[in-house]
Amino acid sequence: MRIYSPEGPVGPPSAGLAPHTPVLAGKRIGILDNSKPNAGLLLRRMAESLAARTGATVGLVERKNAALPAPDDLLARLAEAEVVLTGSAD
Amino acid sequence: MADPLEMLDLASDDPEAVRDCYAERGWGDGLPLVAPTPERVDAMLASSLGDADEPVATLPPRSGVATRRVIAVNAVLAGCRPEHLPVLVAGVRALARPEVNLRGVNATTHPVAPLLIVHGEIARTAGYNAGLGAFGPGNLANAATGRALRLLLLHIAGAVPGSGDASTQGGPAKYAYCVAENLAESPWGGYAASVGVDAPSAVTVHCGEAPHNFHDMESSEPAAILDKAASTMASLGSNNAPVSGAEFFVMMCPEHATACAAAGWTRSHVASYLHERARLRAGELRAAFALRAWAPWQEALPDDAPMALTEHPGNIKVVVVGGPGKHSSVIPSWGMTRSATVPVEPLAPGGSRR
Repeated sequence: MRIYSPEGPVGPPSAGLAPHTPVLAGKRIGILDNSKPNAGLLLRRMAESLAARTGATVGLVERKNAALPAPDDLLARLAEAEVVLTGSAD
Repeated sequence: MADPLEMLDLASDDPEAVRDCYAERGWGDGLPLVAPTPERVDAMLASSLGDADEPVATLPPRSGVATRRVIAVNAVLAGCRPEHLPVLVAGVRALARPEVNLRGVNATTHPVAPLLIVHGEIARTAGYNAGLGAFGPGNLANAATGRALRLLLLHIAGAVPGSGDASTQGGPAKYAYCVAENLAESPWGGYAASVGVDAPSAVTVHCGEAPHNFHDMESSEPAAILDKAASTMASLGSNNAPVSGAEFFVMMCPEHATACAAAGWTRSHVASYLHERARLRAGELRAAFALRAWAPWQEALPDDAPMALTEHPGNIKVVVVGGPGKHSSVIPSWGMTRSATVPVEPLAPGGSRR
């Protein structure tokens, strides 16, 4: 006998990652902090280590609520950075 | 038009065989399943007027496309009757509303589950239980529709524990969470019309915790009854404490609701009183939560000010549910979500077996 799969098709992704940036020297690193405990601290330290190793600078830092999508105006500001570090969940 | 659904070959249509075949692929809720054969799915779809392969919504985090056909597959799996399909289709539409924030609801560590509340004619004609034991067990429509909604969240939306669902402990409401409004015994008319959905049948989705009981066996005064609801609401444990814009659903049994109405209290009087009485000191809340989503004026309250557990009385929603007795319940919110009420599309002629 034949039965249906229960999943159905997957729709187009709502967003994708930007192309990889091969050289970070002279670029700006942005941080999108999801406001969970220690997220800002961890992301800032990661960004600072990355900047020290590559010659990039740590530029913009933005915060959002972990449970909601980032607002458009926040994303527009972050778009001025060539690289953005972020994390999701706890 | 969405892509056709994948088919699987199965040696037997035993419920256990379907469960095991699905489990190998990471599907199912752990319980035996009704085989979703083309014949059963077509019979399910006969209740629906809409195009079977038209996308109804796209559900996160998997970005699964929910057509009536794949909703019907999940309805068959759960044991639904055809007349339950329009309720599920409406439920999917409600889940996809942006204010519900289904991506967050599915992905969070909180034990939130969408509660599906069925309103109006279809609650009666399709056999939903709004009376004694409405939250279960024992009624086919409530149990199967609630289970089907969870199955489609698992399968279409990808809310699978460990991947699309990070709930720390999970929860029993994640198996089946569907109830009907007791319109016949509501002294305030229907809930859907009260929020502007004036359709013969409608559903509401509220993403919250399992019900928290409150009982009052002895009072006829609304304030005495509602003080117990307020005490249940004024807790540091729910997400309503750090998220001040979140809703509460207060599911009042007919006897409690009738006592309030007999004293001249409307639905909005009940909400206003609960807003006034469900309070904790701002300082106590502040000390408990470094991470808060409060309105700026609430942040400005002095520590000794009694602060409402939700910013506005309009966030307290009152629905009449249940049968004889004096037990009601409060359903706190996950927080970063708003309820949604949408109409149910009519059944196709002859689409019901009842």
